Amino acid sequence: MYCIEVKSLSKSYGDFVAVDGIDLKVEQGKIFGFLGPNGAGKTTTMKMLTTLIPPNGGEMNILGIDGIKSPLEIRKKIGVVLQQPSYEPTLSVEKSLEKYGMMWNVEKKIRKDRVEELLFAFDLADIRKKKNDDLSIGQRRRVQVAREFMHDMELLFLDEPTVGLDPSARRGLLDYVKGKVKDGLTIFFTTHILEEAEYLCDDIAIINRGKIIAVDTPGELKNKFGREKTIKIHISEQKEISSLLSCIPDCTIEYDSGVVITVRSSQSEQVLQDILKILASNHIPVEDLSVVPTSLEEIFLSVVKNSNA
Amino acid sequence: MHEIIRLVNRNLTISLNMGFVIWQIIFPLIYIFVAGFAYTALIHQVPFGNKTLDYPAFIATGMIGFNIMNSTLISGIIIWNDRRHGMFEQILVGPFTRAQYILSNVYTIGIIGLVSAAMITAVGYPLFFKQVEFNALTIPLVVFASISGSILFGSIASIISTRLKSSEGFNVVINTVFLFFAFVSTAFYPAQGAPPILSTAFYFNPLTYLVDIVRAGIFGYFNGLVATEMVILGVGAVVLFLVATKLLSKLEL
Repeated sequence: MYCIEVKSLSKSYGDFVAVDGIDLKVEQGKIFGFLGPNGAGKTTTMKMLTTLIPPNGGEMNILGIDGIKSPLEIRKKIGVVLQQPSYEPTLSVEKSLEKYGMMWNVEKKIRKDRVEELLFAFDLADIRKKKNDDLSIGQRRRVQVAREFMHDMELLFLDEPTVGLDPSARRGLLDYVKGKVKDGLTIFFTTHILEEAEYLCDDIAIINRGKIIAVDTPGELKNKFGREKTIKIHISEQKEISSLLSCIPDCTIEYDSGVVITVRSSQSEQVLQDILKILASNHIPVEDLSVVPTSLEEIFLSVVKNSNA
Repeated sequence: MHEIIRLVNRNLTISLNMGFVIWQIIFPLIYIFVAGFAYTALIHQVPFGNKTLDYPAFIATGMIGFNIMNSTLISGIIIWNDRRHGMFEQILVGPFTRAQYILSNVYTIGIIGLVSAAMITAVGYPLFFKQVEFNALTIPLVVFASISGSILFGSIASIISTRLKSSEGFNVVINTVFLFFAFVSTAFYPAQGAPPILSTAFYFNPLTYLVDIVRAGIFGYFNGLVATEMVILGVGAVVLFLVATKLLSKLEL
């Protein structure tokens, strides 16, 4: 079953097309990563899916509800952590959580228990009495994300939730989210940090200039776009080896300092053998050698670059 | 619990703090008991309809309207703060509609306006109790003035908060507009005896109508002018509320 089904969804502001007829399907109980460079249309898509702004065209079905006809019904079943900070400056951390639960009509007893759980889960217990206005950006962000777990939901939208968090808080948040997915929650997650997407997401879509340019699992994206591997060779003395390697087919030289050379190839095993033969026949000793699979970040950059071209 | 009640609960929690409540009582008390008695040497008595009021009684009843106006500034401040701190969007991606958000602000203003009027009536009562004339219209008039005045001034503050983008601009405009409302009105002095231009200007100010209706209720003096003022205040409140609602519902997200 799909939690989100979108067909030809589009949004324009005057002549500017922010989202250009995208199609998306997000399965229930999965974490769906939504990646794209700045201004690609991620936040506009998120705002349409959360019914904050209406689309100009297309169809949108969220949790089996028509997103254009019944936006309020959708909002009652989803949680949203927006990219921009949101907080009540005059309230303390625990009061913020408590009041947010009240706004979602969560029973008082349940609210009390959840406040305690979230204060500890998000490492906020020590600052529970501090006012939001007095918190650091990272602390405020933690409160903002924690607050969303005060109420029950079937689908959670997280728009760059780890912005401003230190690495340990970031990992803590991602693990908490993963735990919630095991309980059946579906998550739509946008981020700039590709390691996070790789760590967290079951499926990933890449958007650029308002269009979806790739959708798949991180593994499949690597298979499709990341067959190339990077071969890094460190030789012990300065040599001009680029010209020696230029005759090898499917071998792109990316970097050559004279001592360190980096090449990319989709036939890495064959190319590696060829390189070693050439180096041996020219009596060039190898000090270190490594073969690195293409990271999601490299795939992202390459897919976006191709799409721009 | 209904969505609007939850939002009103939230509005009251974030906007009311001990400092605000104390200020809302202390500020008018200074006017009533310091300015009221100090100015007695200059303005001993004030004609009001068919009776003559002591100046402290006159200013105490004026302060009811003044306090309603001041406290309803909260409405603008709630919207302003919600926009500034991202809560406007956050609420609208929650289980609420824009209409519920707007109505919750109206109810918040209404509650604060009524409580404010009640507080000042209680503290000012010793000054005007001798001249109070209760009749069937007293409480309805004061309640009508409090609610329609709250909605009108709350709407003005909301309109300002939707139009301005910088906090400096918001503060300057709010303070200037409300300073005009406060001092170019019959809250502190009567229209009779003021230079004609000024006394005419008093009647371009909704606070004058609000204060006149409150006084009419408390001192039991109701005539055609008060009825006209009620119509103007009521219509003004409805029109400005509709404008504020329209602007708020068009606010880009």
